Amino acid sequence: MPSVTKGAPLDRIMRPVHRWVWGDVDRRLRKLLTFADVETDGGRDILRAAEVTPDPLLRRLYLEHAIDELRHGELFRERGAALVRARRTWRKVLFAGNPLPGGHGLDDLSIEGQPDYRLLAFLHVAEKAAAGRFTIYRELVDDDPETRAIFEQILRDEVFHMNYTYTQLTRVSPQGYRRHVWHARAKRLWNRYLRIAAAMAGLFGGVALTAMYFVLLPPFVWFARRAERREPTGWTSISRNGNQSPRSQY
Amino acid sequence: MKILGISAHYHDSAAALVVDGVPVAAVQEERLSRRKNDATFPISAIEWCLDRAGVDPSDLDAVVFYERSMLKFDRILTCALRAFPHSWRSFPNAIKNSLGEKVWVRGIITSHLGVPRRKIFFTDHHASHAAAALFSAPTRRAAILTADGVGEWATLTVGRGERRPDGAAEMTLQREIRFPHSLGMLYSTFTAYLGFAINEDEYKVMGLAAYGRPTMIEQVRTLIRSTPDGAFVLAPEYFEFQTTASRSYSSKFVDLFGPPRNPYDDIDLDSPEGRRFADCAASVQRVLEDVLVDIARQLRRETSLPDLCFGGGVALNGLANARILAESGFERVFVPPAPGDAGCALGAALYADRIYFGNPDRDVPDHPFWGPSVDAQELARASREDSHPVEELDDVPLMEAVADELAAGRIVGWMEGACEFGPRALGHRSILAAPHSREIRDRINRDIKRREEFRPFAPVVPAEAADRFFDLPPGGHRLGRFMSGVFPVRPEWRGRLAGVTHVDGSARVQVLERDMAPRLHALLEAYGRRTGIPVLLNTSFNVAGEPIVTRALEGYSTFRRCGIDLLVAGPTVVMKRGASPDRSLKEGVAWSSEGVARSGAV
Ligand SMILES: [Fe+2]
Ligand SMILES: [Fe+2]
Ligand SMILES: [Fe+2]
Repeated sequence: MPSVTKGAPLDRIMRPVHRWVWGDVDRRLRKLLTFADVETDGGRDILRAAEVTPDPLLRRLYLEHAIDELRHGELFRERGAALVRARRTWRKVLFAGNPLPGGHGLDDLSIEGQPDYRLLAFLHVAEKAAAGRFTIYRELVDDDPETRAIFEQILRDEVFHMNYTYTQLTRVSPQGYRRHVWHARAKRLWNRYLRIAAAMAGLFGGVALTAMYFVLLPPFVWFARRAERREPTGWTSISRNGNQSPRSQY
Repeated sequence: MKILGISAHYHDSAAALVVDGVPVAAVQEERLSRRKNDATFPISAIEWCLDRAGVDPSDLDAVVFYERSMLKFDRILTCALRAFPHSWRSFPNAIKNSLGEKVWVRGIITSHLGVPRRKIFFTDHHASHAAAALFSAPTRRAAILTADGVGEWATLTVGRGERRPDGAAEMTLQREIRFPHSLGMLYSTFTAYLGFAINEDEYKVMGLAAYGRPTMIEQVRTLIRSTPDGAFVLAPEYFEFQTTASRSYSSKFVDLFGPPRNPYDDIDLDSPEGRRFADCAASVQRVLEDVLVDIARQLRRETSLPDLCFGGGVALNGLANARILAESGFERVFVPPAPGDAGCALGAALYADRIYFGNPDRDVPDHPFWGPSVDAQELARASREDSHPVEELDDVPLMEAVADELAAGRIVGWMEGACEFGPRALGHRSILAAPHSREIRDRINRDIKRREEFRPFAPVVPAEAADRFFDLPPGGHRLGRFMSGVFPVRPEWRGRLAGVTHVDGSARVQVLERDMAPRLHALLEAYGRRTGIPVLLNTSFNVAGEPIVTRALEGYSTFRRCGIDLLVAGPTVVMKRGASPDRSLKEGVAWSSEGVARSGAV
């Protein structure tokens, strides 16, 4: 396995966190199910790229790539499902949300109207990061040969993805490929920042709204309940016909 | 007058353009964005519709949104208040969700399209459903029934409408049943309970129902009770959808029906647990049908009209539609090809045209093909570039060749003209196959659709031959036009139509008139000449989790990665190569160790 897949420095530093995540079966299966969605979404985006690129060679490669990613999604989903079946804790899994970091999604990449060099650079950086991270994950699931085997299999594909995107990038942009890769890295960092910022904003917003819920709503609860009690059951005749303003949102 | 209708923000958004009273374009956003059930503001769909008609946003006379967004917000807030303090968890999300985009519809429309506020209109959600059903149906006077999960407050409405020969149109919704009392929500709650995805997998419940017996009707009837005036109420203690977004049934519900299904478990119909789930599905299906039949019967008595226009998501339930036709006294039941919320884009535009502006009513062409067209040249070019065998044939030899392939057991991806508006493939974006064999059906399930075995595939048959194979009641042809009814396959044909006959002997048949899709009709005839049975298995052209294909290259990329043997777009026929040389891509073209080393260096 090429040495570049030993994991990014940040991921190596985060190793204890990764160990904590993968050490617990509940967290592990949740992570696998998240990966399943991320890989599938990524696969669909790359499929889209295959449908819109004017370059026949890239179309073929993107298609192969997309098929791989969709298969990865399937592998993760099946393994996650097998663990769920073994654990019987699925309700918690489904409704507990997904606070854990994901795999290597394409960050809501818009495919249409993007030049191929931008997508290739982006994919290359994303695949490289994924390959590095999956190398670490593979080692952390030593106790679980089946999950480990999935990572091994996927890792081979990720290395192929990382390579072809790079060679193709040098082909379609022989002059600017280094710049595009750096740009993609910066973009990835920026996206990560945006994600964190949005999550923080969401969190603060949630806290503020919850506070509002308990402070501002109670006086109106009584009215709402009274109105509910007065509401007739069964058919209600519609009085809105005709006298409703066509421009009203109410 | 040029009127743009928009449906957005909850499920499967869409746009439709009506010019001088007639639709010219309509498409769901998912078909263009390629994200299934895309509910975002349908900007691509709008752009495509305007582009298709050569209309600039500034030429629009009106933009109509399919529901009153603030009234919907009012419902969400009121429900949170009523459920205080249990709604504390879902409240922040509900508010963030609504305030994020949903209540600012007018501003979003002006900012995207630059149309002045005075040109922006709103209709009631169920009025949009009703208009989609009434104004697209070839009837002059009809009773109207709409039913869905929920719009603003209404979940079910009844009324009547008239399209007079002098061009005047009238539509009145007289009564409604209001949230949380909802047939759609009842069915969705069972969808969730049975481990399927809400707002998406309801038809799986219907498919599963055929395997069960309705042994739990009494239990379901404790959830939904009739009122003396002929309506119904849901017993709130069994549901949670009105208080939280994370779960739709309560623990009392679980006490009544047993533990819910783990979505990651397969349904084993030979196990008691699997049979219990099938019985649950059969029971809620039966109750849904009974309630709808009762309401339709009452409506028929009141209106004495022979025709019923039925809209809303519940009208996608083909078993219920067939029972309404058979038992309510209506002679004809019209269900539009897009009865769900996407269809409301067209409904809202038609409603505004006829009712708000009082424009003369015009017949709406009776077909579902309002979307982007397929470009056969594009397919031919891509296939040649990838060295797939391509042929371009005239109609007659093409039909003969494709019929030969179908008769030999091959699976065909079939693209033709404009794509369908609505959830069903009705002959322009279809996967076709021989209908006689379970083996082919299983191959489609396994290699293409990757779906549960309890879900049946639908047949398509020329209208002239329909009665020979299917036991269609009077009015059955009409319901079968857009695949809106489930009917029995005649017992003597069930063996030879095994791939499209459900376990209970039924089929959701499409009855195809020649003028609706002449090429598919010709193909059915050619297939019939070979096999004696002019029937084909017809399923939507997509793989699991993806929207139906729209453009040629989407069909092509689907063809390339699943078990479709032959792809047809207009006159272009592409065969799959024996061995895929693309495997060699991995070893050859792209795989170079040099690439790895260099990438490590950048
Ligand atoms: Fe992957
Ligand atoms: Fe990858
Ligand atoms: Fe609706």
